[in-house]
Amino acid sequence: MSDPKIDGFELKPGFRGMASDTGSDQTMFKGVHWGKAMMWIFLLSDTFVFSCFLIAYMKGRGSTPVEWPNPSEVFALEAFGVPVPLLLIALMTFVLITSSGTMALAVKYGYEKNRKMCGWLVLATAIGGLTFVGMQAYEWSKLIHEGVRPWENPFGAAQFGSFFFMITGFHGTHVSIGVIFLFIYAYKVFAGHYENGGKRGWFTTMKGDYVEIEILGLYWHFVDLVWVFIFAFFYLW
Amino acid sequence: MSDEYENKSGYQAQSSEALTGSAGSAPDMDYVRPAELPEQDLYHGHTFLTKWVFCQDAKVIGVQYFLTAVFTGIVGLILSWLMRLQLGFPGLAGFITAEHYYQFVTMHGMIMVVYFLTALFLGGFGNYLIPLMVGARDMVFPYVNMLSFWMFFVAVAILMASFFVPGGPTGAGWTLYPPQTILEGTPGSGMGILLMLISLALFVIGFTMGGLNYMITVLQARTRGMTLMRMPLTVWGIFTATVLAMLAFPALLVSAIMMTLDKVIGTSFFMPTILKAGEVLEYGGGSPILFQHLFWFFGHPEVYIVALPAFGIVSDLISVHARKNIFGYRMMVWAIVGIGALSFFVWAHHMYVSGMNPWFGFFFATTTLIIAVPTAMKVYNWILTLWRGNIRINTVMLWCLGFIVTFVNGGITGIFLGNVSVDVPLSDTYFVVAHFHMVMGIAPVMVIMGAVYHWFPLITGRLLNETLGKWHFWATFLGAYSIYFPMHYLGFIGVPRRYYEMYDSPYMTSAVGMNEFISLAAFLVGAAQFILIFNIIKTLKTGKPAPKNPWKANSLEWHTSTQPPEHGNFGERLPVVHRWPYDFSVPGAKDDFIPQTTPPSEVVHTKVEKT
Amino acid sequence: MHAGIIFFLVILGSILFHIFTPWYWTDIASNWKGMDDTITLTFWVGGGVFVAVCLFMIYCVFKYSYKEDRKAEYKPEDKKLEKILTVATTLGVAALLAPGLIIWNQYVNVPKNSIEIDVMAWQWGWQYRLPGNDGKLGTTKVVNINDDNPFGINLDDPYGRDDVMVQSDIINLENNRPVKILLRSVDVLHNWYVPQFRAKMDAVPGVVTYYWFEPNKVGEYEVLCAEYCGVGHYAMRGGVEVQDPNSYQEWLGEQETFSDLLAKQNKEIETKKVAKNNSNIEKVIYKEEK
Repeated sequence: MSDPKIDGFELKPGFRGMASDTGSDQTMFKGVHWGKAMMWIFLLSDTFVFSCFLIAYMKGRGSTPVEWPNPSEVFALEAFGVPVPLLLIALMTFVLITSSGTMALAVKYGYEKNRKMCGWLVLATAIGGLTFVGMQAYEWSKLIHEGVRPWENPFGAAQFGSFFFMITGFHGTHVSIGVIFLFIYAYKVFAGHYENGGKRGWFTTMKGDYVEIEILGLYWHFVDLVWVFIFAFFYLW
Repeated sequence: MSDEYENKSGYQAQSSEALTGSAGSAPDMDYVRPAELPEQDLYHGHTFLTKWVFCQDAKVIGVQYFLTAVFTGIVGLILSWLMRLQLGFPGLAGFITAEHYYQFVTMHGMIMVVYFLTALFLGGFGNYLIPLMVGARDMVFPYVNMLSFWMFFVAVAILMASFFVPGGPTGAGWTLYPPQTILEGTPGSGMGILLMLISLALFVIGFTMGGLNYMITVLQARTRGMTLMRMPLTVWGIFTATVLAMLAFPALLVSAIMMTLDKVIGTSFFMPTILKAGEVLEYGGGSPILFQHLFWFFGHPEVYIVALPAFGIVSDLISVHARKNIFGYRMMVWAIVGIGALSFFVWAHHMYVSGMNPWFGFFFATTTLIIAVPTAMKVYNWILTLWRGNIRINTVMLWCLGFIVTFVNGGITGIFLGNVSVDVPLSDTYFVVAHFHMVMGIAPVMVIMGAVYHWFPLITGRLLNETLGKWHFWATFLGAYSIYFPMHYLGFIGVPRRYYEMYDSPYMTSAVGMNEFISLAAFLVGAAQFILIFNIIKTLKTGKPAPKNPWKANSLEWHTSTQPPEHGNFGERLPVVHRWPYDFSVPGAKDDFIPQTTPPSEVVHTKVEKT
Repeated sequence: MHAGIIFFLVILGSILFHIFTPWYWTDIASNWKGMDDTITLTFWVGGGVFVAVCLFMIYCVFKYSYKEDRKAEYKPEDKKLEKILTVATTLGVAALLAPGLIIWNQYVNVPKNSIEIDVMAWQWGWQYRLPGNDGKLGTTKVVNINDDNPFGINLDDPYGRDDVMVQSDIINLENNRPVKILLRSVDVLHNWYVPQFRAKMDAVPGVVTYYWFEPNKVGEYEVLCAEYCGVGHYAMRGGVEVQDPNSYQEWLGEQETFSDLLAKQNKEIETKKVAKNNSNIEKVIYKEEK
C-alpha cells in the first residue's frame, strides 16, 4: 500500500515535524481508518490485561511454598512410545503461527480486491484457529484426566493448575471469539460486502471495506503474539 | 432500514475561501486545510425506543449516563447519612448493626468512586462534550457507544441487586482486600461479593466500549483547524483520563476474575493457608499482597480518572467566567499529560504499611511527591487566571472557587500521606478519610456542580436560578468543609477508620462532640442537594429561556446550529476552527470574546496571539 | 463581595481551629518523634501554601470582580513566572521529601539489640510470643496450630522450646528497649497499632511482616486493629504495658514457656495413660475376681 495522500498536509522533517504532524488538526494518525485506530487502542488495553495475568502468574509462581511442577514432564506427549516433551504445544504453536501467515495473505489479497483468494485465506485462518482450539481442548482434557484441577494437582503447587487454566482459558476465549469473527468475515468477503463501495454492516453506520479484514487481522496477530508469551512463560520456564 | 441514514457521502473538501467567503481580506490568512474525512453518516432514530432509550446520539447517551450516575450517587449519599448516623449518634438507629455499617461503608465507597464519579465525568460529560467541543457530528462509533451505556446500566442494576440478595451486599471495604472479602466473618461474603465482582467486570467492559469512542473521537474525528493545542482543557482532561482508564481498568478486571475464581471454584490466587474457627481451610500458597498491587495499579490511576476531567472542566469554567485566557495553556496540557503518565508509577503509596517489601517505600514516596509539582502548577495557573481578570462572581464561579479551596486543602494533606514515614502514623486513620474525601470527593463534586450550572442552558435551553444556586453552593461548600476539615484532627488523635463505634477507648471519647458535629454537617450537606433538584425542576417548568451562548464562551459547544444542539450538532456544515478557545478580552477586539470559529481576517486589528 | 468575605472567614477559621484545637496528637511514647517533626514541618510548609493560595484567590475576588468597563489582561503565557514557580515548588517538595525518606530509612533498619516479639493475630484477637533464653523465636506453621500448640510452633525446632508464650491480648514491654514486632496472621489482614507509638504495619497471612519502635514512657496503652478485618474489626483491641526493666523481668519470669506447656500436656497425657492402665488393671482384677 502506498501512503495515503493527505490533501494540504506535508510532513516536516525532524522532531519539530513529528510534533506538528502529531498535533495537527482533524486526525492524529493521518489516513488511519477509525476502526483500525480503535482496534489498536483496544489491543493496547488488552495487552495490559494479559500483562496483569502474566505478572500475577510470575508473582504467584515465585511465592508458592510448594514446588512448581516441571513443565516438560507435565506437558509431555507420548509419541510412538516415547514421551516427547512439548510435542503438542509445538504443534499448536505451529498451527497458530501459520494461521497468522494466512491472515496476512488474506489482508494482502483483500487490498488487491481479490475476493476469492481473500475469502479462502480468511477461511483457512479460521480453520487454523479452530484446530488450535481443538488441540487446546485435547490438552485440557488430558491434564484433567491426569488429575490437574484449578484448585489442586498431583505434580506440585496448586497454583499451577489455577494459573494454567485461567490464562490459557482466557487466551482460548480470545481465539474462539476470533474464530467466530473469522467465519463471519469469510462469509462477508464471499458475499461481496466489501465490493462496489461496500455494504453497511449490521451494527454500524459505516460501509464495508477491506480494511475490516486488516482490522480483524490485527486482532488475530495480537492473539498469536500473546500465545508466544504464554508459551514462553508456561512451557519453557 | 437504510433509508434512516442521512445520505451525505462525498468529501466536504471545499477550500476555506469557499467556506468563509472572505474575499476582501487576505484569503491566505484564513486558510484551513480541507477535510480529510467524509462526513459521518448518522443513524436517526424515529421511534421512542430508538430516539430516547437505545439512542445512538452521544448527547442523549451522555444524559443517560449522567442520570444513572446521579441515581447511584443518591444511593451513595443515603448510605453516607446512615453511616454518619451511626458514627455521630451510635445506637440511635437500632437497625444499623456492625454488619450493616460495613456494608454501607463498602457500597458507599464503591458507588461514589466508580459508578458515580467515573461514570459521571467520562460517560456523562465525556459523551456530551467531546463531540461538541472537538467539532464532530457524534462519537465515531455511535452503536458501540449506546451499548456502552446499557452495559453500564446492567452493571448498576446488578450492583443494586446485591442489596436484596441473602446476606446483603458485600461489606469488605471498597478495596475488597482478600482474604477477608470472601471469607465468613465479612458481611456479604456470599452472593454480595459475587455480584459486586460481576458488576465491576461488566463496568470495565462497558467502559472499554465507551473509552474507545472517546479516544478515537478526540484523536481522529476533530473538525478542520482543531489542532491538539486548540482543544479546550475539558477535552484534554477527559481524554487523558480515558487513556488512564483504558490502561488501569485491565488490572481491576484481572483481579476481579481471579477473586471470582478464588470464591467460586476454590483456587488460591490470593489465599494463603488460613485457620478459621479452629479449622484449616482448603486454601494455600496464594498472596494477598498481589491483590493489593493489582487493585492499586487500577486504584491510583482511578483517582486521576476522576481528578483530570475535573481539572479540565474547572479550567474552562474559570477562564470563561473570569473573562480571561487560561494562564499557561501549554503548561496546563503538559501537566495533565504528565500527571496521567506519573499516576502509573505511584500506586504502592497506598501500601506503605501493607507489609510489602519496605524498600519500595523510597521509590514510591519519591514518585508520589514528584506528582505534586505538576499538580501545584495547575493550581497556580488557576489562580493566576483569576488575577487581573474580570471575574463574574456567579454560581459557576463560586463552585470553581470552592473547588480551589477544597482541592488545595486536600492536595496538601496528600503530601502528608505520600511522604512515606509521615504516612505511617496517619494511614488507616480518619486523616486518610478526610484527605481523600476532600480531594477526590468534594473537589470533583464542586466541579460537577459548577459544570451543571454552566452547561445547563446548553442542554435544556434554560438558565438555572442564580439565588437558589448560591444558597446551594454555600450550604454545600461550608457544610462539606466543616465535615472534612475537622476530620483530619480525628486522624491525628489516631482514630482508625472503618470502626463501627469507638467511644470505649479513653482518648477517643474526647472526639464525641466532633463526631456529632460532623454528622450534623453531613445531614445538612446531603439535604442541600435537594435545593439543586428543586432548582432544576423549577427551571424546567418556569425558568427563563437562555439566550444563545449565555456566558459568552468561545468553545464550539456554544456555537451549534441550535441550542440545545440537535443530533449531528452543527447543522449543515461543520465549523472551522481558527484559534484556541481562550481568546477573552483581546485588546482591540469589539467583544470581550472571540469564538474559535472567528477567522483571523475578522480580527486583524486586534492583538490576538497566534495559537 | 460577600463571597470573598466568607472565603476569608473560612480560611481564618481553619487557622484558628488549628491553633486552638483540643484534638491533637496523643503524647508520643516511642522513639518516632521524627515522624511528628516531619508532620509539623509539612504542616508549616503545606499550611503556608494553602493559606497563601487561598488568600491570593480571595484578593483576586475582591480586586477583580466583574465591572462592565474593565477589561481583563490578555497574556496567554509568562514563561519566567512559570519557571520560577516550578523551581520553587520542586525545591519545597524536595525539602519535605528528604526528612520523610531519612526517617523511613530508620524505620526499615531494625537496631541489632532489639527484642523480637511474635504478634499473632486472628479474627478477632491477639496473642504474643517472646524468645526464651536463646534469644531466638522458633519457627511456626499455621497448620500446627491447635489447643496444645496455640502458636503453631514447629515441634522439631529447638529454638521454639523455650519461647515465652503470652496467651493474652496484653503484652508487657521493657522501657527504652527497642522492640521488633514480627506480625503474623492466621486468617485475614490485621494491623497492630498503638497510636502513642506512631508506628504500624499490616499482619498478612502467609508472610511475616515487621516494624520496630522503642517505647520510652512507662504506662498502659491500647492496641487497635488498624486494617479492616471483618465485622469484628472495631472490637479487636489489645493492650500494651510499658514497664521499667525490673518489673518487666519480674513479669517475664511469671510467663509460661512452650516446654512448660508441653511438659504440662505430657503430664496430662501420662496421667491419662496411667488412668487408662489402672482401669485396665482394674478390669483385669475384676475379670480375675470373676
